[in-house]
Amino acid sequence: MVLGGLEKLGRLVLYSLEEAGKIMMLFLSAVAWAVRPPWRFHLIIKQMEFVGVKSIFVVVLTGTFTGMVMTLQLFHGFRLFSAESLVGSTVALAMTRELGPVLSSLMVTARAGSAMAAELGTMRVTEQIDALYVMATNPVKYLIVPRVIASIIMMPILTVVADFVGVVGSYFVGVSILGINAGTFMKNINKLVVLDDIFNGLIKAAVFGLILSLIGCYKGFNTRGGAEGVGRATTEAVVLASITILVSDYFLTALMF
Amino acid sequence: MFSLSSEAKVGLFVLVALIILGYMSFQVGQHGFSFKRGYLVETVFDNATGLDKDASVQIAGVEVGRVESISLKNGKALVVLRIKPDIQLEKDVSAAIRTHGILGDKYVEITPGTIKTAFIPDGGAIEQVNRPADIDRMLSQFALITEDIRAVTSSLRNVLGGEAGESSIREILTNMRELTRSINTVVARNDDKIADVVENLKSASKEMEGTFIALNQVAQGLKKGEGTLGQLLRDKETGEKLSKTISSLQDVTEKISTGKGTFGKLVNDEETAKNLSDSLAGINRYVNKAEQYRTYLSYHGEYLFDTSNAKSYLDVRIQPNPDKFYLLGVVTDPRGRRTLRDYTTGGVTTRVEEYDKSGFLFNAQIGKRFKDIAIRGGIMESTGGVGLEYFAFNDKLRLSFDAFDFSSDRRAHLKGMAEFQIFKYIYLSGGWDDFISNQGNSSPFAGISIRFEDDDLKYLMTTTPIPK
Repeated sequence: MVLGGLEKLGRLVLYSLEEAGKIMMLFLSAVAWAVRPPWRFHLIIKQMEFVGVKSIFVVVLTGTFTGMVMTLQLFHGFRLFSAESLVGSTVALAMTRELGPVLSSLMVTARAGSAMAAELGTMRVTEQIDALYVMATNPVKYLIVPRVIASIIMMPILTVVADFVGVVGSYFVGVSILGINAGTFMKNINKLVVLDDIFNGLIKAAVFGLILSLIGCYKGFNTRGGAEGVGRATTEAVVLASITILVSDYFLTALMF
Repeated sequence: MFSLSSEAKVGLFVLVALIILGYMSFQVGQHGFSFKRGYLVETVFDNATGLDKDASVQIAGVEVGRVESISLKNGKALVVLRIKPDIQLEKDVSAAIRTHGILGDKYVEITPGTIKTAFIPDGGAIEQVNRPADIDRMLSQFALITEDIRAVTSSLRNVLGGEAGESSIREILTNMRELTRSINTVVARNDDKIADVVENLKSASKEMEGTFIALNQVAQGLKKGEGTLGQLLRDKETGEKLSKTISSLQDVTEKISTGKGTFGKLVNDEETAKNLSDSLAGINRYVNKAEQYRTYLSYHGEYLFDTSNAKSYLDVRIQPNPDKFYLLGVVTDPRGRRTLRDYTTGGVTTRVEEYDKSGFLFNAQIGKRFKDIAIRGGIMESTGGVGLEYFAFNDKLRLSFDAFDFSSDRRAHLKGMAEFQIFKYIYLSGGWDDFISNQGNSSPFAGISIRFEDDDLKYLMTTTPIPK
């Protein structure tokens, strides 16, 4: 009994280590292929449209409502010691530093990361990836590099939009509905938020873009076992990418602020 | 239905996001990656508890700068302030650390000085420092004061408290009563002597009367012209001489004030005064212009990967003031200068495209800068065009987007580029040239630039007459 438990634990540790190693290897080979010509810019543009442009709606929605609900909650707390005017700057700081990058990358993981895993997984089980090898096209270069580059570029841009609409939503709820003074609301944002807050959030977003695309591609690329396998790969990709984003967010924050 | 291509959608989205980013970076506080402007002033405080880097520096509640750094010097806090360039501090200003409200942030308050002619230069120091009236100090002083009071009251209690104190107070009161009684008897006993004193005073005042009469006589003698002083006052000749002097003085001042004579003209002629002030203003403007003028020379070379070509740019950038610039330059393009020519042979017109390989292309643009964003327009590579630039990281990173060569038979030439400063004069750049080309000219590129400021060129430019 005891030995069986230990054996399971050991297998789990080995499996996790192996997965981490494989993702790292895939990352290195993606970097190696990314710097080698010829560059296929139209593939990157296509992926940028898929990852970025088509995620605008969901990111705007998430950002706006996060800003609105935070304002509502903070207002009741801050009113207890007459600090309503600080609600706007608190929401703006939270949006630019944490919520903007994290929430938009979670949404993009769910929308685009899962699609990457499913797409590559289907290609794997229908042997299209093997066909690429036959055509002397490296699938890492053809399939993975454009997705990773597009995600790294588009995540900060989506985050800018999320930050902005979050503060706009907060302004709407705070000033129009709860009646905070518009002047002090904006003045405190100007005073307490600095450019570094925005830029550090954008650096985070770029890292999250790398994480979500790399894990999505890895899970899809290594799919086994038919239609069922594709489903499993998609689920695993979303769960693993979300967890990794949340954990790495802590370390990035500790590093930056 | 009209539909945009993927490229256009991505481009539009990126553009919108960049505009939002630009707007946000205007709105938020400008420290961190902001421009370091203004001059530095040092102060030394005994104690800078609670004062942070980037804390506000204020005069009369108006922010005039920020705290640049705080360090230890000879056991005291050396605080370096960065003051806005348009604020001048008099030599005798004083600085103090104060607190917003009771629990608020610490800031440095500067009290203006009185000497309006001497100002603190860059790197100078504020000599007078007021001790801060912060809560800690106030509380510790309160504690000292209450301790003193308690010492006094406790010794009072030792003296007055208890039965011994009570009896001694009673004794004092009986002594007082006896004293007043004896004063009373002294006054009653000496009644006659007091009357004598009053009599003496009366006779003294009578003698004073005689003295006044004698003084009166002296004054009358002066009036009649007796004695030296009297003669001076009564003599007619002296009086006339004095009045002549005064009238000739009056004459001179009148002449000056009506503008007669050289001096009068100089003082009174409005034109002279205006000329003088005009020429002073002219000199001032000239000197200012020359100081403001900045001229940059730059060489930029880039290699286009897909077309295996190299392009070189030699530019002169003239900046009369920080938010305006002119750009003049030549470009060599191995593709050459493109010209269209119509040939008519036998009623049939054929249009031929020709490339002049040896032809230079020219840049002549005007530009305006709004904080982090600059717009340019004019002639780009010998065709009309416009450009947009975004600066970040203290101007080290420049993102630019150019659109030019809008001809009807081909797509416009669009060029996106990012440039980063790696050393003082050396910049590395990369981007994508002509990326919507339908001529097969689309290509990514990498390049290197050398850019430096040239003072000689600047003075050459400003010796030519400048417009008003």
